[in-house]
Amino acid sequence: MSLVVGVDIGNSTTEACVADVGESGQMAYLSAALGRTSGVKGTVDNVTGVADVVGRALSAAGRDLSEVSAVLVNEATPVISGLAMETITETVITESTMIGHNPETPGGVGLGVGTTVAFTDLPGCPSGCDVICVAGVGADFEDVAAGINGAVARGVRVVGAIVHADDANLIVNRLRTPVPVVDEVTLVDRVPLSMPAAVEVAEPGRTIRTLSNSYGIATVFGLDPEQTRMIAPVARSLVGNRSAVVIRTPTGDITGRRIPAGALTLIGEQAKRQVDVDAGADEIMATLRRVRPLTDAAGESGTHVGGMLARVRDTMADLTAMPYDAVRIQDVLAVDTFVPQRVTGGLAGEFALENAVALAAMVRTSKGPMELLAERLHERLGSDVLIGGVEADMALLGALTTPGTAKPVAILDLGGGSTDAAMAMEDADVHSVHLAGAGDLVTNLIDSELGLESREAAEEIKKFPLAKAESFFHIRLEDGTARFFDDPLPADAFARVVVLADGGMRPIRTRHSVERIRQVRRSAKQRVFVVNALRALEQVAPGGDIRRIGFVVVLGGSALDFEIPDMIAEAVAGFGIVCGTGNVRGTEGPRNAVATGLVAGYAAALGTSVEGR
Amino acid sequence: MTPVIAVMVWCDPGLRSRRCMRDLTAGIEEEGVPYHLESGTGGSVELAYAAAQASGLGVGVGVDADGNVCVHHAKLPSDMPAVTGPASAARIIGHNAARLVVGVPLKQPDL
Repeated sequence: MSLVVGVDIGNSTTEACVADVGESGQMAYLSAALGRTSGVKGTVDNVTGVADVVGRALSAAGRDLSEVSAVLVNEATPVISGLAMETITETVITESTMIGHNPETPGGVGLGVGTTVAFTDLPGCPSGCDVICVAGVGADFEDVAAGINGAVARGVRVVGAIVHADDANLIVNRLRTPVPVVDEVTLVDRVPLSMPAAVEVAEPGRTIRTLSNSYGIATVFGLDPEQTRMIAPVARSLVGNRSAVVIRTPTGDITGRRIPAGALTLIGEQAKRQVDVDAGADEIMATLRRVRPLTDAAGESGTHVGGMLARVRDTMADLTAMPYDAVRIQDVLAVDTFVPQRVTGGLAGEFALENAVALAAMVRTSKGPMELLAERLHERLGSDVLIGGVEADMALLGALTTPGTAKPVAILDLGGGSTDAAMAMEDADVHSVHLAGAGDLVTNLIDSELGLESREAAEEIKKFPLAKAESFFHIRLEDGTARFFDDPLPADAFARVVVLADGGMRPIRTRHSVERIRQVRRSAKQRVFVVNALRALEQVAPGGDIRRIGFVVVLGGSALDFEIPDMIAEAVAGFGIVCGTGNVRGTEGPRNAVATGLVAGYAAALGTSVEGR
Repeated sequence: MTPVIAVMVWCDPGLRSRRCMRDLTAGIEEEGVPYHLESGTGGSVELAYAAAQASGLGVGVGVDADGNVCVHHAKLPSDMPAVTGPASAARIIGHNAARLVVGVPLKQPDL
């Protein structure tokens, strides 16, 4: 009997599998371990991580490093992916014309149209005119209410107000005739005065009707068709608000313009095609399908997409010490997304949802310095280090230790940086693909679509179910079930959406509802993993026909996700194939496939050499 | 008659600052929640807890003679108030007392 350790160096995790292998190929698996990969996969930096994981696997088996006869390492080809996101639309307010923010408690109800007048100038207003009062920083609600009441008594028709503090209800409660009031306008000093303006506040539970409608704004200000066209983006960005202010300035202009995002050139083995990035993800992916297999991609220089691909190339070149020109982009995944962006020129920190395209690009570099890595590992561990087998073959061998699987089998390895697939027919060669876009892209989409500006928060939303703290003693989970606590929840979690992370409950700093966050999370996973799963299976399936696959085993870190495997199973259900999350050796779940495959491959080779003798 | 459906605000008669009470009640009013003022002697936490027990909404506010403000919820243990703060934070505390009733996330200071 000899003790062997299979080691799989992955993009983010290194896994080991310890087994006793007999002379004629019989074997007994002893233990497994998992740790972070140190450095870029396939480089000498990996030694520390490998030594750590091997050590832990051995101690779990109660064995010593000195007993090990061979360490088996996969042929690790660095597969690196880059991500970029570009907005392709933009809302610019060239002169302050709109306050589209949504204070939590606006005051009054209805629509008021009049001329903007500073609160301090209210006493000078002649009677008979329609006025929107603008109360600046430090104005007290009692003074403002008294001032408006006084002006109204003189015959000035105050039809609405814009205020700086969170005072709308306090002011409205003190008015003899209530008017719509929009509060919490941070840059109230920049509101242009003596300009026609409209203030609208909807009833509780409703959204505004007039200012969110282009013709409503046109009616209020008497706009001609050309001016209405100009104001349309304002109306669009106010849809769904409970309150809004629109001020008409003579030179004011809001434009929703499309940013020239540039063209993406996809170079295939036979064909070369160009596609405009602002045509959207579907168009880009359709073009990619036409040129497949992709040998490289380039962006128009001087445009967003050009800069984006240059960045990806730069990162790759840096990480792998390859010359910049030798970096070839071998797959691209484009995803339609939207990004809440601060409106340029807004007065209350307004956000507008802009369309964007996220691109993940994947580069497969030439074979890493494996010989060198093996040598260093030998120095560090003392035992023989064998570079064994192509990763995909080993993963398939490992996957086949899942109970209930048989050839023809395909594996889907859902990682952080790339989605990989491989397919083994009864006897035929193994066919594998590496596709751009995986867990990291999902995190990015969640982060940007919810405007979190925190990757950690996005990562937690991706990984864990949501709940809402409904009282100090119970939360309601996203599926509607309630959970109770003996100790009161912290006040900063009260009424907030929380993620139920391993380390406890984490409140999310956002005003989005549970439903909204859940929807963004699920759709991000759909757009990346389901799309990629189908794309990958199609490329490895014989004749591109997924129906001929038979068994699909889902592996990798993202296969541990609480909903991704179900989404994929649902998506391939129509093909009449068996698809499920792997359970390597019946114990390891979707982990340890390559490490197990390495040991199994080694044992099988021993077995055949014995037979041949 | 004492209204039942209200945030109970119990204030020590020794409190000098009228500003504190004005800010506090303004915060509650802005959120659209009814409140009812009464006087009582004691520490802010103690007053707040008793006020919360008397409130039909289960939320009480206590203000002591020095202007320390405390928000309590009837179901919380008496020594674990929901929010506490000095007189200078009375406005935000008022908002947060009301928000406990409405069920929206609390306002964070300096935001």
